[in-house]
Amino acid sequence: MTALAVSTAPSRWWHSRAAYRFMNHRLALLGLAMITLLTLACVVGPYLLPYDSLNIDLRARFAPPMTGNHYLGTDPLGRDLAARLLMAGRISLLVGFSAMLISIVIGALVGVVAGYRGGWISAVLMRTVDGFLSFPSIFLVLALAAALRPSPLMITVIIALTKWMEVARIVETEVRSLREREFVQASRMLGLSGTHIMFREILPNAMGPIIVAASLTVARAILLEAYISFLGYGIQPPLPSWGNMLNGAQQYLASAPWLAIIPGAAITIAVTSFNFIGDGLRDALDVRNDHI
Amino acid sequence: MRAFLLSRLSQSLVLLVIVSMIGFVILSISPGGPLSQQGLDPGMTQADIARIKEQLGLNRPLWIQYLDWAWRLVQGDWGHSFRGGTPVLTVIGRHVFATLLLMGTSTMIAIAVGTWIGIRGATHRYSLFDYLATAGAMVALSIPTFWFGLVGIYIFSLRLGWLPAGNMYTIGDGSALNYLHHLILPSIVLSLVHVAVWSRYMRTATLDAISQDFVKTARAKGVSERRVLMKHVVGNALLPMITLAGVQLPSILTGALVTETVFTWPGMGRLFLDSLNYSDYPVVMGLLMFSAVLVILGNLIADIVVAIVDPRIRLA
Amino acid sequence: MTKRSGNSSYSRRDALRVMAIGGAASLLAPNLLGKPAYGQTRREKPTGRIIVGLSQEPTIFNPLMVKIEVDDGVHFSVFDALFRVDPKGVIQPNLAAEVPSQKNGGISEDGLKWRVRLRDNVRWHDGAPFTAEDVKFTLELITNPKFRSWRTAGHSLVRDITVVSPQEITWRMEEAFAPYLSFLTETFIVPKHILEKEADPNTAAFNQAPVGTGAFKWGKRVAGDHLELVANPDYFGEGPYINQLVFKYIPDLTVLYTQFKSGDIDLVGQAYITPDNYQEARKLPDRVVTLVPRSSVETIYFNLERPQFKELAVRQAIYAAIDRKAILEGLYYGVPNATETFMPRQSFYHNPNLPVQEFSLKQAREILDKAGWLPGRDGIRAKDGVRLSFANSATSGDHLREQVQQFLKQSLAEIGIEMTISNLPSAVIFGDFWVKSQFDTMFAGITYLIGADPDVTNRFHSRAIAAKGGRGSNTAQYANPEVDALLDKGARSFDPDERRAIYHKVQELVRRDLPFMPLYQSTSVHGCKSAIRGVIPNPNTRTESWNAASWYRTA
Repeated sequence: MTALAVSTAPSRWWHSRAAYRFMNHRLALLGLAMITLLTLACVVGPYLLPYDSLNIDLRARFAPPMTGNHYLGTDPLGRDLAARLLMAGRISLLVGFSAMLISIVIGALVGVVAGYRGGWISAVLMRTVDGFLSFPSIFLVLALAAALRPSPLMITVIIALTKWMEVARIVETEVRSLREREFVQASRMLGLSGTHIMFREILPNAMGPIIVAASLTVARAILLEAYISFLGYGIQPPLPSWGNMLNGAQQYLASAPWLAIIPGAAITIAVTSFNFIGDGLRDALDVRNDHI
Repeated sequence: MRAFLLSRLSQSLVLLVIVSMIGFVILSISPGGPLSQQGLDPGMTQADIARIKEQLGLNRPLWIQYLDWAWRLVQGDWGHSFRGGTPVLTVIGRHVFATLLLMGTSTMIAIAVGTWIGIRGATHRYSLFDYLATAGAMVALSIPTFWFGLVGIYIFSLRLGWLPAGNMYTIGDGSALNYLHHLILPSIVLSLVHVAVWSRYMRTATLDAISQDFVKTARAKGVSERRVLMKHVVGNALLPMITLAGVQLPSILTGALVTETVFTWPGMGRLFLDSLNYSDYPVVMGLLMFSAVLVILGNLIADIVVAIVDPRIRLA
Repeated sequence: MTKRSGNSSYSRRDALRVMAIGGAASLLAPNLLGKPAYGQTRREKPTGRIIVGLSQEPTIFNPLMVKIEVDDGVHFSVFDALFRVDPKGVIQPNLAAEVPSQKNGGISEDGLKWRVRLRDNVRWHDGAPFTAEDVKFTLELITNPKFRSWRTAGHSLVRDITVVSPQEITWRMEEAFAPYLSFLTETFIVPKHILEKEADPNTAAFNQAPVGTGAFKWGKRVAGDHLELVANPDYFGEGPYINQLVFKYIPDLTVLYTQFKSGDIDLVGQAYITPDNYQEARKLPDRVVTLVPRSSVETIYFNLERPQFKELAVRQAIYAAIDRKAILEGLYYGVPNATETFMPRQSFYHNPNLPVQEFSLKQAREILDKAGWLPGRDGIRAKDGVRLSFANSATSGDHLREQVQQFLKQSLAEIGIEMTISNLPSAVIFGDFWVKSQFDTMFAGITYLIGADPDVTNRFHSRAIAAKGGRGSNTAQYANPEVDALLDKGARSFDPDERRAIYHKVQELVRRDLPFMPLYQSTSVHGCKSAIRGVIPNPNTRTESWNAASWYRTA
């Protein structure tokens, strides 16, 4: 078990100091508070509201906010907007989070292998990364979404497919520098397998940048879902998402502006929160990341 | 230098091939196809649809379609639109101006405003302004562009009636003023994200420059603060920003696509959406390639500029 | 005044004869093409400009190529067909001097030999004379295997096209096919002298700068934005009275309406004013806003091969569970009218005596109980292991249909039927998914007729089931031998009264069998400035701009 001893040698040095720095980052704390509240509201809120998000009431359509118990008003089918907003939040947050997980896994995998192996493997992998990056991702996503049957899972995968490259790049850079460090050299001399070294020794030490990338990727994934759904290629009704709630809203902009303003505000709050958190993590973990 | 250029160029070509393959595969897995628009027509028979598929060469194996398309592309033939048979380059060419106008205007706004915010933030570090700018930039990066557009339309077009809600110009009035009037809202909307990015970058770059010796020297010589900033700091900071411009191109294109949709702007973004809706594959592929070339070119130019300025890069 | 003699010069007897073929029996309006009584204000010299707003962009300018509805407005303005169908469904001569019929000898008694006489005063926009050679060229181009032509149905039956003289052409039909006359109202004639020189008609320069015989000449096009046509002062028919006809592309319906309100566009074209704006639009000053019935019927199709829909009782129960009144009044603002058939109400062939659907959840439950579809443990009805659950599909992003779907879902859940919503992008949905009947139920606006002809073989004949190797679009997979026989008979008959009886019976049978649920006949909200006159809607064409030649401005 010497390997373990060796591998923990550089240790998770950022643990305590990083936590302290994060707690002192005011915007990050604000983001954390907002996203906790929002998530809580989305999880619990629908049970507390007087209306079900699917309950159609044609007599109450287009009620402006604060009409009776419709705190945020109603939509063109007379459904309670508050209830829909929270249900939509579940979908949007879930899609954003799952897309992040998938892209982190793919990105980390590609990044670690490319960074550790080097040579032609690295060349092929990183050129593929460049290839994917050369698409304006919205073009790629729309082409995919138009070609495939849109389901939440599919949308999640599509978003992940366009977001993993940045993670891969970050991880690759990190791994390339870690590769030459003593603890890796030591592992190699101990005769540990490449897979073991890559995923047991190096990866844990590259967690800092990955965590930062993760929080920023959630933000971007939520935004991208909103873009695709707004354009009508994303999450399909009756499943609500913040993006598709906006999809029909432009039509009613003059007569029922709250239909457009409220879901957009929810997206902005969620995305801002994740960006704040990401920024805080970056400072706390002292990660250099030029990709904003 | 030549070796560097050659290697970067060949890398770019490989990239383009990969991009085109990805695009082609994506389009080919679409179960609908360009004739789906005719599926509802009472007079189109299955025989008609099969015939047109054959005429368009869509019944061939995928790899043959790809090779055929790629071979023609190499010879400069981008193919013909499924809608009306116009050459793809002509179709794209007709929409380039609108997009470039929008992107150009918003980029200029972004540079001007972003530079100002960035420098002011750096020179007044940790002031209220700096703090607000930092937080504001982060919020700006989080606002969905289309939603910002909708809110803009609601306030400035529907409520106040100051600005048009869409279109590039009024038919019958092609004056520059008319264009400008229509440009204001969409270009501001599109520039929002980029103001945020530019200002962040400019702030860092200015801070870097301020700490350098020659600025200190200049200041010691008694050159005024403003002049030092303008001449040395901005001059030095602008160069690396070219790199950023190259890297930012994909996101500007993305923003343009969404902005064009909201403001019914007759550019490439809308062409892309229309072509997708009609499954006009040659045009979709053309646009994918066109934007990929733009993006790769942007990166390439950025790399070259940096390489010229900083010879060490070439070794890397 | 010779200029105007064109369309309205036919005599009363001609009109009668024409109608014997074309359909409408009751109407004998002298101004069939809508020449308004207050026509005096019209100026002889074309002046002014009319801007038509469209929510899709016309991009196909060769009228014979694969095209969609929105392209038609341009084709009607730049080109002419041999005949045209007027708002009453009467077929009238256009480039032809008269409408051939069995009575006037233009069509032989067996319906196989056709002879068409042409006008002798028609010139192409470039000055070349229009002759029978152009007609021959056009008909042959349509069936040219290398040419990416649109519909070939009917045209593929044409044999032995002979140019008898510059003003006379004959051909033989492989089999008697009465709807062909209607098809020819949508077959625009293209110039031989320009297209015959092209190596590949699919990519000809003509396709981007067409030359026709119509009231308007090609002007200029700003792709993605608008298209300008200019008056053809030498037009052989009535008009044009305006100097410039502009088709402006405004992809967003809200913006389309806003620009109509602000006066940026003069006339709202395809896809018209959304129903939710109808009440407001009606009150706009200096605007004329009208409800115009279209020929398409908003329909929910059953896939009859799905086990849950094989039984008529299920289809009846679902139909009874639709609160159509609430949908039409609530979601569509009372704009469209309910219908029980695929045949448009304005058609001569419309059967008004069909049973009327009544909304009753109680009745729906009773039907299902009686048929043995009983609620299972999950509350969903089932019979013999088949759950009464199905997906409904529409084009994604279609807000109104999405609203109807969600409403239906709720109603059906109340009687133990599970409906899920599975919407697909337009590029996907109308491909194999629709044509090869891969859906459970489909919600779409469907046009059943071509022109004003009542033939619906393509939709209801068992030979037309593509999923079973057929050639048409009978996507419900509806098979009824009695309907088959009637359709075969109807397509061969040139006698309107005989056909009327046939198609009345077809409608009765289809209503009984319910291969689809007719919700309502589409109605569009048209709008134009009141200064624009001569705009007459024509449900027998696919565009509002079918008679732009007669449009004019009073101010």
